[in-house]
Amino acid sequence: MADPIIQLENVTKRFDDFEALKGVSADIREGEFFSLLGPSGCGKTTLLRTIAGFEAPTSGQVRIAGQDMAGVPPNRRPTNMVFQSYAIFPHLDVAGNVGFGLRRSPMSAAEKARAVDEALEMVGLAGYGRRAAHALSGGQRQRVALARALVLKPRVLLLDEPLSALDKKLREQMQGELRRLQRQVGITFILVTHDQEEALIMSDRIAVMFEGQIAQMANPEMLYRRPVSRRVAEFIGVMNFLPARVTASSPAGIEVEIAGLGRATLSGDSHAEAAPGEPPSVGIRPEMLTILFGNEPETGRVAEGEVREVVYYGDMTYYEIAIDGAPGTVTVSMRNLVNRPVLRRGERTRISWDERALILFR
Amino acid sequence: MSEWRSSEAARGLALVGPTLLYAVAMLAVPLGAVLVYSFLTDGYLTIIPEFTLANYAEVFSDPIYRQVMARSLGVALAVTVATVVLAYPVAYFVAFHVRPERRSLWLFLITIPFWTSYLIRVFLWKVILGYNGVVNATLTGLGIIDEPLTFILYNVNAVVITLAHAYAPFAILPIFVALGKIDRTLLEAAQDLGESRLATFLRVTLPLSVPGVVAAVLIVFIPTVGDYVTPRLVGGPEGRMIANIIQLQYLRLDNYPLGSALAVTAMAIVTVIAVGFVLSLRRYLRVRQ
Amino acid sequence: MKGRWLRAYTVLYLLFLYAPIALLPIFAFNDATIIAFPLGGFTGRWFVELGKVPALHDAALNSVFIAAMASVSATVLGMLAACASTRYEFPAKRPIMGFIMLPLVLPEIIVGVSLLVVILRAGLHLSHWSIIAGHILIVTPFSIAILSSAFASLDRSLEEAAIDLGETPWSTFRLVTLPLVMPGIISSLLIGFTISLDEFIIAFFLSGSEPTLPVYIFGQLRFPQKIPIIMALGTILVVLSILLLVTAEYFRRRGIRRAGGQDSGGFLG
Repeated sequence: MADPIIQLENVTKRFDDFEALKGVSADIREGEFFSLLGPSGCGKTTLLRTIAGFEAPTSGQVRIAGQDMAGVPPNRRPTNMVFQSYAIFPHLDVAGNVGFGLRRSPMSAAEKARAVDEALEMVGLAGYGRRAAHALSGGQRQRVALARALVLKPRVLLLDEPLSALDKKLREQMQGELRRLQRQVGITFILVTHDQEEALIMSDRIAVMFEGQIAQMANPEMLYRRPVSRRVAEFIGVMNFLPARVTASSPAGIEVEIAGLGRATLSGDSHAEAAPGEPPSVGIRPEMLTILFGNEPETGRVAEGEVREVVYYGDMTYYEIAIDGAPGTVTVSMRNLVNRPVLRRGERTRISWDERALILFR
Repeated sequence: MSEWRSSEAARGLALVGPTLLYAVAMLAVPLGAVLVYSFLTDGYLTIIPEFTLANYAEVFSDPIYRQVMARSLGVALAVTVATVVLAYPVAYFVAFHVRPERRSLWLFLITIPFWTSYLIRVFLWKVILGYNGVVNATLTGLGIIDEPLTFILYNVNAVVITLAHAYAPFAILPIFVALGKIDRTLLEAAQDLGESRLATFLRVTLPLSVPGVVAAVLIVFIPTVGDYVTPRLVGGPEGRMIANIIQLQYLRLDNYPLGSALAVTAMAIVTVIAVGFVLSLRRYLRVRQ
Repeated sequence: MKGRWLRAYTVLYLLFLYAPIALLPIFAFNDATIIAFPLGGFTGRWFVELGKVPALHDAALNSVFIAAMASVSATVLGMLAACASTRYEFPAKRPIMGFIMLPLVLPEIIVGVSLLVVILRAGLHLSHWSIIAGHILIVTPFSIAILSSAFASLDRSLEEAAIDLGETPWSTFRLVTLPLVMPGIISSLLIGFTISLDEFIIAFFLSGSEPTLPVYIFGQLRFPQKIPIIMALGTILVVLSILLLVTAEYFRRRGIRRAGGQDSGGFLG
């Protein structure tokens, strides 16, 4: 495994009476696509700006490529940033923007021009060099911002919510392109986003942040399947929670009594933190619950309940089902297939589940 | 360089520092000096550093000063009312009936006369209102009057007309800005809730434009009280205002203490009126949009 | 339709605003020494006579020098204050800015007499510099108003981007900030020049033996035979200020457009 390109050690940041970062530690590896994910106000942008050098940490250390960055201004750091507003210089044309950071480079004018052309070609804007900044669309501005940062060949590219200003279609397209670009140049990308889907799709690893702290740092699959807390579980995708009581606990497994599902034995590592003050509960993702249509044979354990709401998405159907003996409803998602009917509200149904998909929050 | 945004407050103060120092040295200190002078004793061509209230006693007891002070306030009040009432529909028109891209053109047309040769503009009102002036020539030419009118020049009327003209743009701009900030959906909501256009104006537009009206009133009232050129050129002897008296004391009679006392008194009265006016309307000024 | 009445009213109002200025060229080209109706014939002689008055030329030169010094100084001070007030939070910000903007509403005679008192008290002589000091004071608030909108419409992240791309704070100012607020600076210089050129009372109180143009004009207004020349001079001044203002407005709008902002209105908006 490569050495960490960025090492954060107990970084805190205080603005007047507000603590934006409360001791953040993390290693970010060379060449990975790393995302900082969290709701607005969680400190993810502050952390990014601290790495870039726009904010000085109140305490703690930021090391880039092994060097302590204390006192190193943004213009002397091997990082470059794609700003949320893109910050395209309105008084310069596209080539002027992309070549902005090359002013101090020892390259000849011809070499600089070629570097600019290459960068533009890389982001799919070949031939746009003489275009005025104000004549660009949102997607084009974003590409110029990318080219402008990448032309300097930074060790780390910082992206502050770069896709939030784009519409859905363009955003999805740019997600794919950013991922491709990152693989192509091999530079470490650090992306700040509040969109959990975006983070899952694009990242090698994700740090989920709440209130100035990293709640969990893992790859997308681990994050989704093994959230360390109820809060992370609720932030990433949908999860059903059923009240549960722990009846026995040993290193081999945990015995629980779950409302509506009955007794189950969970493996020793499949438990996570409950929200403070909440009683223990068991969580299960909607796709881990399977509706048994008609006389379909049972696989694993089965519960019964009544369909309360049906939401049809085209490729999927989401059901809200009240399981006998459990409070409230659970969400169940089913892929729509040729021979699979869509249930109606009020119908009774059987649901199959597997104890390996359960996570205990206590 | 290390902490390039280390202390925001310190950087802000450092930046504003030179401008602030200049204003302190060239405004606060001189105003303080005027205040001090107003309590000193005048010895002809010299100033005797003895504390006295005699200057203020003279300002408040001499009927001429009281009359001129009252006239200044009266003229300023008349000018303010005339200016704001006449300006409001213009600001309203530009804010609501002019396409956004044409607005700055209209505002530009309105402001141009304000920037051009104040002295000559005031003098031209003398030409317009004079015995053989434009108004009289037109009216006699049309046979409406036989003898030229004389009550329109060298008196308070002329001062009011001329000042109302000079300060017009100052009234239009703040009202326009306030009207421009009003969310148009509020007006639609009022009409949707059953109000007529007039009632909508009275119940929504007018109250929300009060901050602009207040700014217009202050920005017209305060400088007009102290205007010198207009009463001097078109006011005649019975149109003299406080600035003329202050100038007389300073430059002609060399009585700095009395001139200072007049200036301080005028500023104090104006400040009291302005603060009272703002406080009386503070209910409307606190609205956040 | 309500809008049409308002439009008619506004046009009438504009006529009222422009009436005195419209009279200027009429009398400037009128072949009579008395400024009254009926008019005499057409003549250009008042403009020719303008060239024969050395005192006027001196006054004009004085005014240009004072206006240039005042507008440059006020623009520098205005830039510092506008930058501070749009960018930074600092203690007592509102009272400080309010105090700096105070000359906007203060009667000019107060500025004039108070400066007169301290200058004479300090044993200094009245000169161009005393007028310049007063004019800087009254022009600075206008500079701040113009430059604040220039700074406010400038996206902070543009400067951060330049720093991020390797520039120092100073070169960022030179390469990014300055070009983007330059139209505002030019607009501020032109407006300041126009205000100073036109200002009478402060100059009246603070001019020593060398009058400015308005002080000279004021002195001439007492002599009826000089009035037609003054009308010719006024015509030139009005044309000149309109040219300056149109240029200033052009730069102000270009500045806002360049920085990608929305035009909020006029100079005082």
